[in-house]
Amino acid sequence: MSKFTFPSIKETNELSRLRLEVRKFITECINNNEFIPAADSWVFAANPEFSKKLGSKGWLGMSFPKQYGGNERTALERYVVTEELLASGAPVAAHWIADRQSGSQVLRYGTEKQKLSIIPKISSGKCFFAIGMSEPDSGSDLASVKTKATKTAVGWNLEGRKIWSTGAHLCNYMIVLARTGPPSDKNRHEGLSQFLVDLSLPNVNIKGIPDMTGQRHFNETLFDNVELSEDALLGEEGKGWSQVVGELALERSGPERFLSHFTLLDRFINEFQNKLLKSGSNIIGKLIAELQTLRRMSFSIASMLQNGESPETQAAFVKELGNKFEKTMVESLREFSNIIPLYEWPDQLQNLFEDATLRIPSNSLRGGTTEIMKGIIARQLGLR
Amino acid sequence: MSEELAIILETASKIFNKHVNHDLRQFIDKANINLINLWNDIEEQGLSKIIVKEKFNGSELPFSFILPIIKMSNYYGTPLPFSETILSNYLLSESDIKPPNGMVTFAVDGIDIKITNNKISGKLLSVPFLNLTEKIILITEIENVKNIILLKSIKGELKPKKNFLAEPRFDLQIKNCEIIDIKPLNSKFNFNHLGALMRSAQMIGSMEKALDLSIDYCSQRKQFGRTLSKFQAIQHQISEMAVELSASSAALSAVGNTDEANKNIQDIAILKIRAGIAAGKIIAISHQVHGAIGFTQEYELAYFTRNLNSWRNDFGNENFWETFLGKNFLENNNQNLWEYLTY
Repeated sequence: MSKFTFPSIKETNELSRLRLEVRKFITECINNNEFIPAADSWVFAANPEFSKKLGSKGWLGMSFPKQYGGNERTALERYVVTEELLASGAPVAAHWIADRQSGSQVLRYGTEKQKLSIIPKISSGKCFFAIGMSEPDSGSDLASVKTKATKTAVGWNLEGRKIWSTGAHLCNYMIVLARTGPPSDKNRHEGLSQFLVDLSLPNVNIKGIPDMTGQRHFNETLFDNVELSEDALLGEEGKGWSQVVGELALERSGPERFLSHFTLLDRFINEFQNKLLKSGSNIIGKLIAELQTLRRMSFSIASMLQNGESPETQAAFVKELGNKFEKTMVESLREFSNIIPLYEWPDQLQNLFEDATLRIPSNSLRGGTTEIMKGIIARQLGLR
Repeated sequence: MSEELAIILETASKIFNKHVNHDLRQFIDKANINLINLWNDIEEQGLSKIIVKEKFNGSELPFSFILPIIKMSNYYGTPLPFSETILSNYLLSESDIKPPNGMVTFAVDGIDIKITNNKISGKLLSVPFLNLTEKIILITEIENVKNIILLKSIKGELKPKKNFLAEPRFDLQIKNCEIIDIKPLNSKFNFNHLGALMRSAQMIGSMEKALDLSIDYCSQRKQFGRTLSKFQAIQHQISEMAVELSASSAALSAVGNTDEANKNIQDIAILKIRAGIAAGKIIAISHQVHGAIGFTQEYELAYFTRNLNSWRNDFGNENFWETFLGKNFLENNNQNLWEYLTY
């Protein structure tokens, strides 16, 4: 019977108070024209000033220990804050990856020196991270990476290239997955290691790749004989694969997997509330049911993370369902244009809708494709 | 999970394991000795009155306990009105009527219901399991008050329904049937909501079974020199079943701590929608990966998918609850969507 459960976690009054506090802050920012709510804001909308402001509020690095400049709050508190930021389309892209996964990775595997020098800066919104996993010839097949780190007298020499590294041009560091030894016959995941690479080092070359909407967030990052100090190694040499797997649970289970385009849904409803009541209640009801279920699953995973569990499979469930939900949502709104033609929608709503339509194919690619998610689940069901 | 609940589930699984097999489900049109033995064990262990008040010989355990038990009984595919009895006995007990022994089933609303001299006449529609029991509760409105009526014995004409060839159901014309007791239904209940909750828990148990059967079958069946489970097309289909099931289970665990109609109505709506969507997909995929064998009577998959077809239409289908939920939000002008979701 049931292999993967999502125990129901109730939001406490304390969490609800935090939620309202964040909401009030965001409303003030919007009223002061500090930002305009955007779709997919955790990928596209980088605003280092806003990140710093969140840091000073204590809303970044929330669960990190105080000794490293963190706030020692729970994963559930962090969940509530990130939900509020995403639902309002706040510009969180600059710090998103550092706060979501890289900081935890450094805390878990880093040396004392690494932790002391990096974690306080992440918590104050002054240090941003990019993901260094994919390469031109290694996408879903991550174990095939060719970027290579070789031991030298003083540290490591890094040679290779990483691609699709969102926001790298604004970032201070990238956690690079590189080969430090050969794979074994039995296990191709052997011989991989993670490195904490300062992107301001000589011979690091970051080149933008415009995406299909013309925006820049993608990059190709070239490491042309980059000299790394000894302590650039993150964690244990040769344990890169298991380290990466843990990181992916953080990457895949969060509310950005289903709230990326929430601002669109919210605006749409505000605009057409009365029309929807007459002829579209069921469409909205279905979206509410899907969304609320996803929120519960994701919140439940936050509680598993809090308890020190490793819910990688549950994360794959959330990512897969969340991606599907967002596609269904955009499609449902499109069908409504039978009743009110798209060209009669207010300009801002039209733009949000068209942005969402154009960007939606990427949501089931980034962070692991649908096919990879289904593969992970099938393995856990004993089929592979 | 509490230790107490774990012990009860352990007891229940022993009973189901001992008695329930696919043969038992073939003789569903009348009570045979095996069905009677199963029921006697259920009753002896107090499972049918698990949330009934102690003064009526029940265990008076928390309401939330019945959901995993109901789920389990349907994972095993128990061909008895087990869930119906648990719910009926509970509502009787909470409305201060002593629940009878034996299996109990329920009827809702009815047509042309008339009560004179403590005798009732009218038509009851689609009543489950009248082949196995004559004990019925009727929930119906009389002079603007919801009443719960325990009928003494059926005197009337039974008309079998098709019901997707799932559990037996009957339309029943009753005439001057004796009433054992009639009371106003405790106002904290809405039978439609509790029914939707119960059917959803049943569906989730059945979907778990359909998933497990599919995994087992595909891990054994070989074609083109390898087991079906090694084909990526099959793996992805089965993963999709697991994803749908996990969403439904998450929706179920969000409900169930309260039986009060108004407190958890949104959660029940979400659950029935989510389970109904999942059932549609799981019926289709489980049959697809089984091939022709799943389409036979001798193999057990179809028992579960026929029940899913029936239950996803009971107590409001997806569209009913989607419309309900959509209106519930849209008619309320004080909250935007995010406030509604996070309230």
